[in-house]
Amino acid sequence: MRTFYRPTLRLTEFYLLLPPALLAIVGMLMIFLVPTGQVAWAWSDIWVSLAFAGAVLGMGLTFGIRGFRGDQVILPLTATLAIIGLLMIQRLHPDLTALNARYSTLAQRQLLFLMVGLAVLWLTVMLAGPLGVMNWLKRYKYTWLLVSLALQAATFVIGTGPPGSGAKLWITVGPIQVQPSEIVKITLVIFLAGYLEDKRELLGSSWRIGRVSLPPIPYLIPMGLMWAASLLTLVVLNDLGAALLFFAVFLTMLYLASGKPVYVIVGLVTFALACFGAWRAFSRVEVRVQNWLNPWQDPFVSGYQPIQSDYALSSGGILGTGFAQGNPWYIPAVETDYIFSAIGEELGLLGTLAVLAMFFLLTVRGFTVAMRAQDGFVQLLAVGLTSIVAFQTIIIVGGVVRIIPLTGITLPFISYGGSSLLSNFALIGLLLHISSLPKRV
Amino acid sequence: MSVIVSLAGVCAFALLTGGLVFADRISDAQWLFALGVAWLLMLVATRISLPTRIPTFNRTLIRTSLVIATVFIVISAQLVRIQIVASDATYNRTTVAPDGEIMGNPRLATSELSIQRGEIRDRNGDLIAGTEQQGEIYVRAWPDPSTAYVAGYYSPLLYGSAGLEATWNAELTGDSGNDPLERVINNLLNRPQQGADLRLTLDSSLQQEAMNLLGDSTGAVVVMDVDTGGVHVFASNPNFDPNQIFTPDRTANERATGYWESLVENPDAPLLPRANLGLFTPGSTFKTVTAAIGIELGVIEPDDVYEDSGQITIDGRVLVENNRPDETRDLWTVREGIAWSLNVVFAQIGLDIGTEDYWRLGEDLGFGQQIPFDLPVAESQLANNRGALDRDNALADTAFGQGEILVSPLFMCMLTSMYVNDGAMMQPYLVSQVVDEHGNVTQSIRPQVWRSPISSQTASEVEELMIGAVNNGSVARAQVEGYVVGGKTGTAETGDGSAHSWFIGFIGMDEPRYAVAVVLEGGSGGPASAVTIGRDILYSTITSPDSGN
Repeated sequence: MRTFYRPTLRLTEFYLLLPPALLAIVGMLMIFLVPTGQVAWAWSDIWVSLAFAGAVLGMGLTFGIRGFRGDQVILPLTATLAIIGLLMIQRLHPDLTALNARYSTLAQRQLLFLMVGLAVLWLTVMLAGPLGVMNWLKRYKYTWLLVSLALQAATFVIGTGPPGSGAKLWITVGPIQVQPSEIVKITLVIFLAGYLEDKRELLGSSWRIGRVSLPPIPYLIPMGLMWAASLLTLVVLNDLGAALLFFAVFLTMLYLASGKPVYVIVGLVTFALACFGAWRAFSRVEVRVQNWLNPWQDPFVSGYQPIQSDYALSSGGILGTGFAQGNPWYIPAVETDYIFSAIGEELGLLGTLAVLAMFFLLTVRGFTVAMRAQDGFVQLLAVGLTSIVAFQTIIIVGGVVRIIPLTGITLPFISYGGSSLLSNFALIGLLLHISSLPKRV
Repeated sequence: MSVIVSLAGVCAFALLTGGLVFADRISDAQWLFALGVAWLLMLVATRISLPTRIPTFNRTLIRTSLVIATVFIVISAQLVRIQIVASDATYNRTTVAPDGEIMGNPRLATSELSIQRGEIRDRNGDLIAGTEQQGEIYVRAWPDPSTAYVAGYYSPLLYGSAGLEATWNAELTGDSGNDPLERVINNLLNRPQQGADLRLTLDSSLQQEAMNLLGDSTGAVVVMDVDTGGVHVFASNPNFDPNQIFTPDRTANERATGYWESLVENPDAPLLPRANLGLFTPGSTFKTVTAAIGIELGVIEPDDVYEDSGQITIDGRVLVENNRPDETRDLWTVREGIAWSLNVVFAQIGLDIGTEDYWRLGEDLGFGQQIPFDLPVAESQLANNRGALDRDNALADTAFGQGEILVSPLFMCMLTSMYVNDGAMMQPYLVSQVVDEHGNVTQSIRPQVWRSPISSQTASEVEELMIGAVNNGSVARAQVEGYVVGGKTGTAETGDGSAHSWFIGFIGMDEPRYAVAVVLEGGSGGPASAVTIGRDILYSTITSPDSGN
């Protein structure tokens, strides 16, 4: 194991980290200088950017010193997305504060979350190897299931949500508000990776009763439970975003473990039927569907938000208005659910497509990590973690551009929110650790 | 299998491209459906065959990536639609709730009002419309009530725009009418956009006088330079104050919406500028048109004699003549027919011309034609349709200015100008120059002949007839000592028993230089006041210090 600790240069990563580091400085200067129309600036304006640039470059350097030989593209992609998010929040901060005093610490809090998130990523990468994290993640898989269920149950009992939404999203502990679904999405993936790896052979086989071949029923029971849990998340917690995300990630992992598309199709069809039932049964779901298909039916109340988002996106055009030159703050919840529209307004189609491209690259990179991994559990874990990022992006951006109904989840690394940032950085840390494990030849 | 897969990919691509290219022809629902179909086709296209030497897990993962890629493509296509191809429609989409609340893009305020809109000035440089900076926006103001409504209204947050503010919007916002390169650079550097200024042919002081002359009467006054078609006076009553329709703040719009509703509910339709959009029966002023048609066709000459013994029977209907100055005389010339406005004479002239030639020459003169102008102009007509003139009664009525004829005051002024401009009908215009923000004239409007329907010989004969009507006829009140003046009055009976009063005329030193058309709507002042208004405004125009140009 001595070679493991031999320092390495990680030059690719260093070069790739330069664009986000420079973007941090240039973007921040734009935000400060554009509203004043002047070119006079002080170092204090960009200390945030310097701190960020130092943090990510320093992270790459310490990885090298530590002899970390994992993927060199994932960190730069994550850092670029994170700095776009941080700049957007910094840029929205004055406008939102003018709107409502409760936003007065928005930018500081996001910076704090981002720094803690980067620290979590760094610690995960530095410590996961020595601690043998993969082993105990795999061994205690049912513990992770219990943790997931307990968190969801606790959310049901003491959870709160945005006033008037009927949703239960957060648990408040003292001054801190936690969004349990952000933790559950990772613990659930760990459990699924362990469970599916154990039962992989059996899931791929089939039972024969006479001439009819059936899937191995007993091993599908936990799968049914997973299906039910996703649906309960939807119905009981009214958290459609998390429900969709859990289910999409689960189906992907099931498909990868079994190699059988039929599971995916059956799962999708039954979930769609259940959602259709929910649409008929619950008026709030109905409102959501109506807002998706035609927000102009109720432009002042339920349709207000999607209409404002459309206005923002349409004002962006190809190049956008430029940082701090648009008015995305007209959209309610622009700092969380609708931050993608703010990017669309100020950075234009080029900006939105670039962000999408980076998420897709991150997905492909994560899948590549999975393909190169040796161990089946690790493979499935990498697939699960990567698909969390992919599907979370698809679900929220798809909702914002209205190809599916809107669900209130965050855009990874970009939206405002502590739980989301922390869990996503931990996720990337795990993925980076997996990429450094011995590879298949 | 591979054929189907490739075909599905090509079809999906074609469907998305088609949907984006023809975005303006399909609804949101149709587009969403096309997007769904394209996605299914793309899913089929992900079934490409992968080499079997790749492990099963990796192949499955590659397929998963492809499926995720299809979703990203669908999202990107939707973004292209929202942000590019359908962005204008989305950006400007507005709806009004039953209670009057308006949902519109709040950026319209900050973007439209952040432009320093160009100024509109009259021929002497007097301000008609200007802007004043208030914080980050520019507030539009029209300081002179007598010219404000000619500029139109401009209310981007509520009611859009009308008048010159609408038809010259591209120049006023700076989208055209300035240096294109500079425009692109300003746009790239996010500099505030500056509009170009408009210089009008209108004369504010004459416009003010026309408004004073109109007083409370409902009607219109148009004065035109007969050689160029430049409009010096363009007065309509009642009108509106665009300052009260404009609002710089969407949330504080009670004053504007209240005023707007009062305008819309007003039965006198103050939002409708009568000079260009009003249509009236011309009455006896139209005898000049019949005379012009008859002379042009060679059917009559000014000294031809017609019998008018106080009445005539056409198709069994008796038409009574009240206008003869001497009721013992039965024979009258065409010249006297114009001078004393003899209906029986002109009924016969109309019948002598005949429906076919009358209609043909009418179209040559511009009836039923769209008049090119800086503002929309209502189409004038001889009758609702050609067949209506087949009856002799209808043709006779038309010939002396009743029947189904409808004309706009602007058109009557154009006809009058044509008589004194050797038969050349000039294209009317209000905007003479576009001036960019550096003071450079970027566009200069040159006078243009719109059509030449009658010969200069015919035109000068009609001109003589109208001078005769002032010198030796019923329009003597129009006379101005020391000038050449011609004119014709008219009283147009309307369906409800009231009558519109008309005056058309011209004035000049040796040669006529300015033409006028005045109409006062039913009941608001008699023919005498129409003549007085026309005479006074013509006199002021010819004696105004700027009349040299």
